[in-house]
Amino acid sequence: MISLNDEKIPWQEGMTVADLLSGLNDAHNYAVIRVNGKYVSRPNFDAYKIPDEAEIFLIPMVVGG
Amino acid sequence: MTNFELKELKTLSYQRPEIDKGYANQSLYVNITDPDIAIKPVTEQMKEIFIGGKGFDLWLLWHAVTPRTRWNDPENTICIASGPMGGTPAYPGSGKSIVAAISPTTGSVMDSNVGGYFGPYLKFSGFDALEIQESIKVFASKGLPEDGYALSEVLTNHFAGGKPRGISVVSTGPGAAHTVMGCINFTWYDNKRKRARYKQAGRGGLGTVFADKGIKAIVARWDSVSLDSNKPADKEALRSVGKAYSKEIVALDPKQNQMSKIGTTHLVPIMNDFDLLPTHNFKFGQHKHAGLIGKDVYKDIFDPGFDGCWMGCTVACSHGVKDFVPLTGDYAGKKVFVDGPEYETIAGCGSNLGVFDPYFIVEMNFYCDTYGLDTIAVGTSIAFVMECFEMGLIDTSHTGGLDLNFGNRLGALTLVHQMATGEGFGKIVGQGVRNMKKVFAESYGADPGILQDIGMESKGLEFSEYMTKESLAQQGGYGMALKGPQHDEAWLIFLDMVHNYMPTFEDKAEALHWFPNFRTWFSLCGLCKLPWNDIVPEDNKEEDEPAKVMKHIRWYAEYFSAMTGRKVVPDDLIPMSEAVYNFQRIFNVRMGFGRREHDTIPYRAVGPVTVEEYESRQERYDDQLTDKYSVDIEEKSSEEKVALLRNFREEQYEKLKDAVYQRRGWSNDGVPTVETAKRLRIDFPEVLEVLEVSGR
Ligand code: SF4
Repeated sequence: MISLNDEKIPWQEGMTVADLLSGLNDAHNYAVIRVNGKYVSRPNFDAYKIPDEAEIFLIPMVVGG
Repeated sequence: MTNFELKELKTLSYQRPEIDKGYANQSLYVNITDPDIAIKPVTEQMKEIFIGGKGFDLWLLWHAVTPRTRWNDPENTICIASGPMGGTPAYPGSGKSIVAAISPTTGSVMDSNVGGYFGPYLKFSGFDALEIQESIKVFASKGLPEDGYALSEVLTNHFAGGKPRGISVVSTGPGAAHTVMGCINFTWYDNKRKRARYKQAGRGGLGTVFADKGIKAIVARWDSVSLDSNKPADKEALRSVGKAYSKEIVALDPKQNQMSKIGTTHLVPIMNDFDLLPTHNFKFGQHKHAGLIGKDVYKDIFDPGFDGCWMGCTVACSHGVKDFVPLTGDYAGKKVFVDGPEYETIAGCGSNLGVFDPYFIVEMNFYCDTYGLDTIAVGTSIAFVMECFEMGLIDTSHTGGLDLNFGNRLGALTLVHQMATGEGFGKIVGQGVRNMKKVFAESYGADPGILQDIGMESKGLEFSEYMTKESLAQQGGYGMALKGPQHDEAWLIFLDMVHNYMPTFEDKAEALHWFPNFRTWFSLCGLCKLPWNDIVPEDNKEEDEPAKVMKHIRWYAEYFSAMTGRKVVPDDLIPMSEAVYNFQRIFNVRMGFGRREHDTIPYRAVGPVTVEEYESRQERYDDQLTDKYSVDIEEKSSEEKVALLRNFREEQYEKLKDAVYQRRGWSNDGVPTVETAKRLRIDFPEVLEVLEVSGR
């Protein structure tokens, strides 16, 4: 199991951030997510493997600065 | 224990007015030559059109100076104001002061939005704005410390009368007097750590104007602050919207950017991933060691605590480093408290110098604040020097023997110490990128063309710390910003480059109309921009225009209505700002400054200047030449491709100017039209006179 914005969802071996987001219908809003406290950005979504028990937060688009 | 003497030269007794719906309805004028102190009324027209804060500053400054006024002329005036919402403890980010004066770097109007308690305390003491004119002839203090760090502490303790939380000190440091990049420190008292802390009005050399006038410090004192202090028109409505906002931030910040723990340091790894973190004088946007200066490191270096630069700000992003021991300078070996670093300082004094040592950045941060220097201008100027040094445009015969290759930490710190005393090569670096370009070309024989391409300034102001090569909209955000390339007017990189929300010139122009104007609104009201869009409501994605974070804008409209009694809806906020925004552009025109030619940016901000840069991202640039511009690159050398890409990109930037000027209601030369001035009710005779002279 992993937690996505405080919701539990099943984990799969080899699951990447891109895999996780492909199951969401608003994935385009997220260019950055936080996995166990570490920022993962869109250029790395395909390569980044999510570990089991991960705590993940979707960071809304960065419009700051 | 510091022994010092203060002498009273002039006092003014006055009856403090009751604050009414966020306004004191008067301003304070101080002429420090005569000396003379006077109270001026704040008119209904000022409130109606200029709102407060930066609006009041600009109105007062316009009347204080002439088109011939230079930054170091006596009539140049330092204006400081908060705004009608400034001083509200119930609504996050409501304690800002806005400073304005004619700048030594640009020669025109400069404004800076800063935390600390001064603006609110000034207002509660009876004044919506403060003007300081002329320069000191009779020195009224002896024995006070020179540097901003010690001075803030000493004056806080001196005036506290047992209540240090009631004191805010405004001062600068010795570097401000010897450079054109002086900042002004604004303090608040940190009850937990029992010490004065500060934030900086950093950009455009406002501290240099302060030092040039011979002002040691300005101190405001106030007692307790509550929701009633501003006497809002509808206290219950204000309480309720403030509570909703605070609650949302407390719930969402831990899930989103965790600014209450790590400040703005989260931006370092994110910018690095997207090739946006300036490294080596904005040559590249990424570095393999960026992780060493990111949030994972600073979260352990920061002293934990609830650190707001104004009371009740639940974002609480103003972190600091406790018991830091500098390795150099007068404080070497002594424990100090350092306010910061924030993202801009990390990128400017770290990655852009090719340094990935978090403690070096803390030391640069400490000495810049202490000496009264803007960390952004210092970082961008030293980065320029390092690239010139590596290119052989300057050498050790010019630098006083300093080896200034990228990554040289001691070299960079030495320059900062030299800026404080006005000695050595640091004295030249302290004159900023625009002046250095002139000196390097005229006195050292460097090629002016390459200096122009890599010298990261526009309008005389050094760039703040974001890469813009791949975002045309942000090139416009920097190039068409009124005061010069500072991101507080527009930060569109993600919307443009990452989310592709603005594919056409018209979309970009619309964004370069709306965002600068909405961001201006914060500085009219005495507010901080960060709570608006650094914490985003969970249902924001359902909104029609998620980039604007409309739920928060509805709350801001409610907040403004509840405070001032002037009922507004979200659509009313942009026209409020537009009046002040256009007035500032016309002010620039009046100072000989605000036209199309002044919105030019160096090519380094637009595309790859060198073959090295091109080849480092060759696939990206080759694809653009072939796919976007249909160029056959088969036989082309890298030099040829650099030149071709440059033509295309520079042409795009000029087209963007056309679209933006049209959307803003400006002429093709970038000057607001008479029609625009009339629509915004800023068609005062003296404004029309400027427009007439400029041919509009
Ligand atoms: S968000 Fe940060 S900078 Fe803005 S008022 Fe709050 S503590 Fe100060």
